[in-house]
Amino acid sequence: MTADIAPGVASVEASRGRLVRGLAARLGVLDHVALALLLVLAAALVAPALLTPFGPLAADKAHILAAPSAQHWLGTDYLGRDVWSRIVYGARATLLGSAVAVVVGLVVGTALGILAATAGGVVDAVISRVVDALLSIPGLLLAMVVVVSLGFGSLNAAIAVGVSSVATFTRVMRSEALTVKNLTFVEASGHIGGRPRYVLRRHILPNSFSAVLSLSSLQFGIAILWISALSFLGYGAPPPQPEWGLLVSEGRQYITSSSWLVIAPSVAIALTVWAINRLSSTARMGHDHG
Amino acid sequence: MLSLGYMLRRALQSIAVMAIVYALTFLALFVLPGDPIENKISNPVNPLPQATADGLRAYYSTDQPAIVQFVLYLARLLHGDLGYSLTNGKSVAALVGQALAQTITLAALALAFTVLFALGIALVATFARSRLVRELARAVPVLSISAPSFLVGYVLIAVFSFRLGWVSSITDQGFVSLILPAVTLAFASSGSLAQVLIQGLSSARSQPFVTVLTAKGVAPSGIVVRHVLKNGAIPSMTLLALIVGDLLAGSVIVETVFNRTGLGYFTYTSVRDQDTPTIEAIVLLISAIYLSINLVTDLAYAAIDPRIALAAGGPRRGSARRRAEVPA
Repeated sequence: MTADIAPGVASVEASRGRLVRGLAARLGVLDHVALALLLVLAAALVAPALLTPFGPLAADKAHILAAPSAQHWLGTDYLGRDVWSRIVYGARATLLGSAVAVVVGLVVGTALGILAATAGGVVDAVISRVVDALLSIPGLLLAMVVVVSLGFGSLNAAIAVGVSSVATFTRVMRSEALTVKNLTFVEASGHIGGRPRYVLRRHILPNSFSAVLSLSSLQFGIAILWISALSFLGYGAPPPQPEWGLLVSEGRQYITSSSWLVIAPSVAIALTVWAINRLSSTARMGHDHG
Repeated sequence: MLSLGYMLRRALQSIAVMAIVYALTFLALFVLPGDPIENKISNPVNPLPQATADGLRAYYSTDQPAIVQFVLYLARLLHGDLGYSLTNGKSVAALVGQALAQTITLAALALAFTVLFALGIALVATFARSRLVRELARAVPVLSISAPSFLVGYVLIAVFSFRLGWVSSITDQGFVSLILPAVTLAFASSGSLAQVLIQGLSSARSQPFVTVLTAKGVAPSGIVVRHVLKNGAIPSMTLLALIVGDLLAGSVIVETVFNRTGLGYFTYTSVRDQDTPTIEAIVLLISAIYLSINLVTDLAYAAIDPRIALAAGGPRRGSARRRAEVPA
């Protein structure tokens, strides 16, 4: 069994090396900016205290609704809490929520797509029609339906966003698996005695998974937008939790006098999603795509 | 020529998908979490008058099993009866109709802006003389699909309402008040359309017929407007249904940001109050709009290109939609 696995591992590593070198050659200026942004985000996830001296809930009564300054980079909110720290600490809730959403969509969607492609017949027809139905509902609306069904809260909002992306994953996985299934070498593997489950695990899944993975990075960006939209509307994380969409909605009342309360967390969302989208499209087609 | 059989089959397919949408949302809203209707009616926080509560209970037959409620609701739906709101006991059809009427002008204007933005960006990105300008234009769609609509909305409010004082952010000034929300909606939805247009334009531009036209002495602007644009715009037609659906769903955020009432605001309050019959009606409405636009564009395609009607289903639909999701 080990002899069987070793060449596969070696080739995976070689292709990974090629991928990394290929990526480095493809990076443009904007890609480096995006990469730097993601590094800051990673720091915010792992060690938020490194990026800010203030706690996300620490209220500074002397500086309520203070404008951005050297001490409070992005100003303070109506309780005197530092906006920059709330954004830094809020990265965890938003990004973890999006990760949950992508995992839900990826796992359920891949399973359904593989099932549809390999089972065929009635199963395929039923899954495909359900996918059609789900795709006819705009994603944000579908997420709201699911969140009504599950109840409000940050985990439920994440699951809802995941459920609303299942159809997209299923469709891509199904069409990829169908293509791979009919390749000559996959058919040959079956003819020389490979059991269906072996062929599926050894050939169909690895060869059709790259399309689904590149879809995941795209869906991760969308998940961030939808989760923050849900919490902006008040269906997600409850206050006083620092969550990006919630920060925006808390700042709404002060838009006239203290616009940074709304603009700063919104910009954080936009930059994060942009960095992810930018790098995922660079990985696919090189940096001159725009 | 479009065969009657194909049209009929596509129409039936849409109706079947609609039925699945109904069944799925019913499952999610009415069956999964206990008994939302009973919970809602007997909610002590927001008490309904006894007569209204009894009326709603009798109407939704909350004492019957879920499958009976499902059939009952479906039978009423087929007669055009969408039920009664759980928050105030009013007719859902009337409430949704009222909300849609307020949003339809906004959505139409936003659609016009979407096409305008996308076309402008795609033309600049493909045909601008300077390489830098082309590159900048190509970076815009990724930006627009990455920015949350509340960011765009609040920046517009901060600039045009507070700084310049051109538009009031509170009072409704008729058409003028529509412009900022429409721009906000259009900015978000123009991204994917611009990406598909850019791809369509650059592939149409390198077709042999362009060389032929140039050789024949047709002016470059004539080639672009009359030939390249026409060919490059075809794949983006399929995005139309998706964009309209997104505009209607996106109005949830935009109407909240701009303090407008309409379908988006109505969706927001219905979800907040867990008013399941109205949510069900909104989902059915938006999905019906999506499916009808899709049906019309598919049939239009088949009329233009008979090969599509011969190959069963709508193969163009899947491929164009998939392309749309890839930020280029």
